[in-house]
Amino acid sequence: MRTNYRIHSGVRFQMLSQDQLEELFNGALSVLETIGLDVHHEEARQILGDAGAWVDGKRVRIPQHVVKRCLSTAPRSFTIYARDGNPAHDIHIGPGRAHFGPGPTPPNFIDVDTLERRPYVKDDARIVATVVDALPNIDFCESLGTVSDVHPDLAASYEFATMFPYTSKPIVAWSYGWDDSADIHNIAIAEAGGQDAFEKRPNYVHYCEPLSPLVSTFDAVDKVIFAARHGIPVIFTTCALAGGTAPVTAAGIIVQTTAESFLGLVLAQTIRPGLPFFMGGVLSVMDMNAMILTYGAPELSLMMAGATELAHYVGLPLWQTGGCTDSKCLDEQAALEGSLSCFFSALTGGDLCHDVGYTESGMTGSILQTVMMDEAIGYSRRITRGIEVNEDTLASDVIHNVGPDGHYLYEDHTMRHFKTEFWYPNLCDRHNFEEWEETGRLTMRQRVIDRTREILHSHKPSSVKPETVEAITAVMNAAEERIKNKD
Amino acid sequence: MSELFEKIATGVIEGNLDEVPGLVQSALDDGLDPTKILENGLVVGMNEVGKRFKLGSMFVPEVLRSARTMHAGQELLRPLLAEAGADLGGKILLGTVQGDLHDIGKNLVGMMCEGAGFEVIDLGFNLEPEKFTEAIKEHQPTIIGMSALLTTTMRAMGHTIKAIEEAGLRDKIKVMVGGAPVDADFAERIGADGYGHNAASGAELAKKLAGMS
Repeated sequence: MRTNYRIHSGVRFQMLSQDQLEELFNGALSVLETIGLDVHHEEARQILGDAGAWVDGKRVRIPQHVVKRCLSTAPRSFTIYARDGNPAHDIHIGPGRAHFGPGPTPPNFIDVDTLERRPYVKDDARIVATVVDALPNIDFCESLGTVSDVHPDLAASYEFATMFPYTSKPIVAWSYGWDDSADIHNIAIAEAGGQDAFEKRPNYVHYCEPLSPLVSTFDAVDKVIFAARHGIPVIFTTCALAGGTAPVTAAGIIVQTTAESFLGLVLAQTIRPGLPFFMGGVLSVMDMNAMILTYGAPELSLMMAGATELAHYVGLPLWQTGGCTDSKCLDEQAALEGSLSCFFSALTGGDLCHDVGYTESGMTGSILQTVMMDEAIGYSRRITRGIEVNEDTLASDVIHNVGPDGHYLYEDHTMRHFKTEFWYPNLCDRHNFEEWEETGRLTMRQRVIDRTREILHSHKPSSVKPETVEAITAVMNAAEERIKNKD
Repeated sequence: MSELFEKIATGVIEGNLDEVPGLVQSALDDGLDPTKILENGLVVGMNEVGKRFKLGSMFVPEVLRSARTMHAGQELLRPLLAEAGADLGGKILLGTVQGDLHDIGKNLVGMMCEGAGFEVIDLGFNLEPEKFTEAIKEHQPTIIGMSALLTTTMRAMGHTIKAIEEAGLRDKIKVMVGGAPVDADFAERIGADGYGHNAASGAELAKKLAGMS
């Protein structure tokens, strides 16, 4: 028997030392304690003040012992459940587990039929949910757009109501404020079997986005309060531009966005200790020529990796970013930027990696990009699974049996392992030239388009309960009633 | 005296904030025409900055530093130019509309417009329509610029234009709009005079609306 054998079962990436992580952590604590944030929400200031923060007008400063107390109650490992009880669609958050999904709110969408860029409409939410449900390496769902063909105040409600029946993978819900958050929650708890049942098995996550630098807007904070009061796992993430709304340096932007996210942590944990909380930050650079927040920059992956390490150091899961691109179409740039950021994200083990399917720097959602990235994520996951080393995988017996000049194709060992040791592509072509010619000389781009259309044609997601269908109708009717007198 | 003009232009290109106001002052002390100092010095420098930015050899922070430098030089000339009745681009009022706190884009537009020679009055963010109408009465600008990041708050741009119309001020000003979800169609729908897709195009648009280009 072996003793003290050290097992490396996965490929991981680590760049920051313990000392560096402690410096970043202290940087964030110091920002909260000495500079503080402006919180545009009176009740939130009250709650934070009662928790031990120093409130001075809108400015809230939080002493570090309060942050540390809240870190101690926030869980590192927990489960977000599939709405239909399918364990394969549950998301287990914990060390070494990277999950992937699309992102929220681009105004435009690439039409799957015409392949043209156009405003995002309600039915696109159905398309995205259906494809996400079918893709083996996409774990959670977001809409990839802002619904433009309904009353703007109801865009988020319609988005969730449309997606929910078409995927049983957990949704990361996005909303404007309290009312549409309540619409979303009422649909989710109808399926879960009521509020109590939901709290035991939460089936979605709520997304809140404050503002950089150092501002917690009314709606972002209001949504955290809503989530905490209803036991909804919550993400509190800024979307900072290095050099614009955050320091130009990677360490500086990590410090600032961590402080911004910690404000949400303290608020959430004070209202409901133990609420699953994702530390945020979409961290990237402001391109100093194009003046955009770049989604294809190497710095995005690098900064996100740093933020992930810091989150894990303080015991929180992270809202990661990857699979996105600045390209305007499904081309080589989209493949390159998206694949590298997926791979890098997988290496960090960042917990929920979103924006898979963002193109044009976040201005256009593309489910085609998501489908292409599903392949890149599968590829990455095979690598991060690493090399297993034990008696069986060392294969000494098999090598002995086969000997010189034999082959391994008849071996039980081969039979037993070839499906799990090897990854098989869905989109990448491995045929020889003649076969490739015979099957129509298809490019990657065409194979992505074909696969997307095929999924939409044939995939049948599991249905929601009949009472959920009724709840969706009732919730949306009430929502329409609510905004009737608004323009 | 072309050497001094050249120095001023180079100072603007290099963003020498500490030197350019002094150079402008010595040009004035030498008795040079303020209009010439502006046109042959500051504007020559800023035009070169615009060219280099488009080519990709200058970057936003450098452009903004140059814009600040240009602005600092121009502030010395402004009273003299006004006295001489010269046309100085005029005033621009900028603000992020009601319900929206996002202002990085709007700030960039402001800095770029200053570099284009405008006097920029930044009203801030989360501005009710009345804030705009009051400010128009007070400052009498040539142009107002509105910005929003959210699809919910961009509607407030339309509300603001309506309020400006109701206050009888619409024909006194040009309106330009911008922000991530905004496009040219939307701008036309709400009755704006123009839309800029980023800060540089916003400044270009302002020049066009003010009849400067």
